[in-house]
Amino acid sequence: MANAFSRRAALGAFAALTLGTGVAHASPATDFVTSFGNKLVAVVNSSTPLDQKKKEVLPLLQQNVDVSGIGRYCLGRYWKTATPEQQQKYLSLFDQVLVNTITDQIGNYQGVHFRVTGSSVTPDGERVTALIDRPGQPEVNMQLIVAGSPLKVVDMYGEGASLRMNQRGDYSSYLSRHGGDVNALNSALARQINNHH
Amino acid sequence: MDSRQDGIGYGSAWKRCTRVTAGSLALMLLSACGSLRNPPPKDPEALADYKAANDPYEPLNRDMYNVQMWAYHKALRPIAKAWIWAVPTPVRHSVANINETWREPAVFFSDVGAGRPRRAGDSFMRFAINMSAGVAGFFDVASLVGYKQHETDPGMTMGTWGVPTGPYLFIPGVGPTNFRDGAGYAIGQGLTPINYVPRGYGLLSFNWAYNILGTVDGFANTVDQIDHLEQDSLDPYSYIRSAWQQNRQSQVDALKDDHRATTPDWY
Repeated sequence: MANAFSRRAALGAFAALTLGTGVAHASPATDFVTSFGNKLVAVVNSSTPLDQKKKEVLPLLQQNVDVSGIGRYCLGRYWKTATPEQQQKYLSLFDQVLVNTITDQIGNYQGVHFRVTGSSVTPDGERVTALIDRPGQPEVNMQLIVAGSPLKVVDMYGEGASLRMNQRGDYSSYLSRHGGDVNALNSALARQINNHH
Repeated sequence: MDSRQDGIGYGSAWKRCTRVTAGSLALMLLSACGSLRNPPPKDPEALADYKAANDPYEPLNRDMYNVQMWAYHKALRPIAKAWIWAVPTPVRHSVANINETWREPAVFFSDVGAGRPRRAGDSFMRFAINMSAGVAGFFDVASLVGYKQHETDPGMTMGTWGVPTGPYLFIPGVGPTNFRDGAGYAIGQGLTPINYVPRGYGLLSFNWAYNILGTVDGFANTVDQIDHLEQDSLDPYSYIRSAWQQNRQSQVDALKDDHRATTPDWY
């Protein structure tokens, strides 16, 4: 009984807290995501051609996404075994792969809406939830993990799965099937970038 | 006496022989299984990756994945593409609705098993409304009156009970799963009434049509995703393994955290 009561009280307090923070007092992380999201949406909604949009998005991504941190995470245990040259090469290739993946999502939309709906604290950083409305498409629920100083995006969740963790599984599996050779991974990434259209 | 002894001797020799054959067969099977199973690596960091992947039967699973992808490229993908091209969207929606509605009993019992009355009520109402006002499931009327579709299956229910997932499995025709969810899939089939109804040629062919169309339709909606995955990932097998296991865990967590009351929100 006491347990149930305290759990209920804790839940109530938690609900009140999240409601409070969600609406009235935004945290630095939600402020960061709101400002980054609005800048992205402004580019997407502008009437410039798609290629131009992709160019304008690039500095925003470099400024607000921890690309090299994500890249290191994705290489997993092979980061330590790679030579400094391999690491540099890998990071520059990874940067392009990530940018391509994100800019592919832009498309020729206009009238996109974006709003932050809440946030919670996780061991990896603050998890900020946002909704994206695209005309004629179902709403997309997006979760960004924000951490570091200055704040940057360190991970993104889709369908309940951490995208950087998926990517790490992909790369480490490829590496373990190629004898842990980071050069093999680098040439595979280079092929991927060349085949990208 | 001698001959009997001989007979016995012969018999026991034969028995011994069978036993040896059985033994060596078992050994061969074991070694065959051994090659289907990845031994845990010695290096601690590699071991951590191995444990995170939860895939000791990786060699076998990869073979099964390749079978599935072969079928995908040779048959399933063209069929799915033709389905999308030939069948108008409203008809495809109806096929999806029938499948969802007729699966509701399994969803309902899974919700009950997980002790989630609000979800159970939603699936019960969905079944009742869509089978009547929705003309046997052709139309999703329940969503319009506030009973949105949700998925719960026996695997998720077992997850809320704390049943461990067991190793990851890839089964052609079923896709990514694990020991727990594979068992849950079988239980879910047992809880789906359509599997018991058909008697006679007409109903049997209807059941086949229902199952095949439902599968094709469900599959057609994922073709673009699979194509993207094959293009963007260096090792699609491993990407699917990671994404599926995380997604599954998040579904179980969402079910655990669903403490909504049974009374409506305005009450």
